[in-house]
Amino acid sequence: MSIDLPRPVSRTEAAWDDLVEGISKSWIWSAMAMQDIKMRYRGSLLGPFWLTISMVIMVAAMGLIYARMFNMEVNRYLPFLTVGLVIWNFVSTMIIEGCQTFLSAHNIITQVRMPFSVHAWRGVYRNLIVLAHNMVIIPLVLLIFSVPVGWNVLIIVPALAILTINGVWVSILLGMISARYRDVPPIVTNFVQVLFFVTPVFWPPEALGIWMQALPLNPLFAAVDVVRAPLLGSTPLAYSWTVLLIITVIGCIGTFLLFVKFRPRIAYWI
Amino acid sequence: MASLRLRNLSVEFSIYQGGSRSLKKMLVATTTQGNLARDAADRINVRALDDVTLDIEDGDRVALIGPNGAGKTTLLRVLAGIYSPTRGESYSSGRISALLDVSLGLNPEATGRENIMLRGIYMNIHPREMRSRVAEIVEFTELGPYIDMPARTYSAGMLVRLGFAISTSMPAEILLMDEWLLAGDARFLDKAQRRMEQFVGSSSILVLASHSTDLLRKWCNRGIMLERGRVAASGNVDEVIATYIGPPAQTKSADRSATNSHVGAT
Repeated sequence: MSIDLPRPVSRTEAAWDDLVEGISKSWIWSAMAMQDIKMRYRGSLLGPFWLTISMVIMVAAMGLIYARMFNMEVNRYLPFLTVGLVIWNFVSTMIIEGCQTFLSAHNIITQVRMPFSVHAWRGVYRNLIVLAHNMVIIPLVLLIFSVPVGWNVLIIVPALAILTINGVWVSILLGMISARYRDVPPIVTNFVQVLFFVTPVFWPPEALGIWMQALPLNPLFAAVDVVRAPLLGSTPLAYSWTVLLIITVIGCIGTFLLFVKFRPRIAYWI
Repeated sequence: MASLRLRNLSVEFSIYQGGSRSLKKMLVATTTQGNLARDAADRINVRALDDVTLDIEDGDRVALIGPNGAGKTTLLRVLAGIYSPTRGESYSSGRISALLDVSLGLNPEATGRENIMLRGIYMNIHPREMRSRVAEIVEFTELGPYIDMPARTYSAGMLVRLGFAISTSMPAEILLMDEWLLAGDARFLDKAQRRMEQFVGSSSILVLASHSTDLLRKWCNRGIMLERGRVAASGNVDEVIATYIGPPAQTKSADRSATNSHVGAT
């Protein structure tokens, strides 16, 4: 019996289809992300605003003392710290949770067929929702301390879009590596914690003096800078945007190539 | 026309033991010799499916039988597109519903109603469509006011009723099912039977893995027997079941001789 079989789908095509299908089925990952948030805060009084409150407390506690240490006026340091922390939380949480992308979806992956990229979008969208809750505090702080914000603040929209794209490739990449090597999540967590201290989040870049120009080499600094600077009424350092865009391109292409190769193994690894 | 086709398909699992699960050990192994390298490369390869070729056509209701560990669940997962074959090719035409776990995605903290919507999403059903089916599902489960309570308050039977009702709410073109146990009271079982018949009857292709030969004889027209990952028998369902059970013993029941003959084989 001769049957006309369709041409077998190449791994590259399969990986590309996975990404396309993943984006197009936004109703799947947006619903799952909403459910994650609902479940996380079910039974709590303030819901996701607990994060906002804890951030306000942290800023209030650190504000006075650290402003003094870095020789900055309190009304300049507090907005700087607040905005920096909000963005840092967004970026660092996407990286740390990115490790769990496929591991946490173990049940779904082994029971139904679904594009793998859906799980990456779920985590990123969930973090965007949390960011939205945290960002409410920024206009308040900017108002209280009379920060001169111009129209260039609108640039944070494309900036956040770029950060989101980076969140997706990081989730896929770290998700795959963590599925195969189980000691990667704690390594990444430690790494990010160290980065918090060496990246100018709670200390001003000016404290480094001439070394300040080397800062954009730290991609996490570039990520924070492009969103923070416009919100504080200034401009990012010279190469922040360049570094960020280069990282985005390399990250997307590199992760895609690895995704092509290892996507078929993910279901076996977890 | 719905169809499922496999060509020379193999699935190999690497079971990663302690050392090879660690990135640190893998990196160290490339720079040292001896025990560390062995520990890092410590994996067992298991061939779960071995050179399987088969064609399932529109109208086929296939009974998938075999001893535990023969590869039935793996084969279902390959057919569902969950596992990519290590070797060979898999082709499918038609919408596939893989019902391998009746409690898929059940969130204990969410209410029964929320779980219905959640489960719909996992089954690739748009919320708009799922919403139109919620009333019917709720009515079938007979859970009453419990439907708005968290699923963690449900008894095991209630969970099965919920999972079963959701799974059978959406007609499927290609239905893949894995050893469903119908735990529940007698009245529900009767209702479930009828719903099952309707549900299975509306599908174009059915592949059912089960140990219950009565169920298989009732619902299937073809049989495929797997043994250690290979297709050991294929054909009419009664013939394949007869091959699986083996020749009936003189004094003992046929079922008991089936257990004995397979204990001997493995």
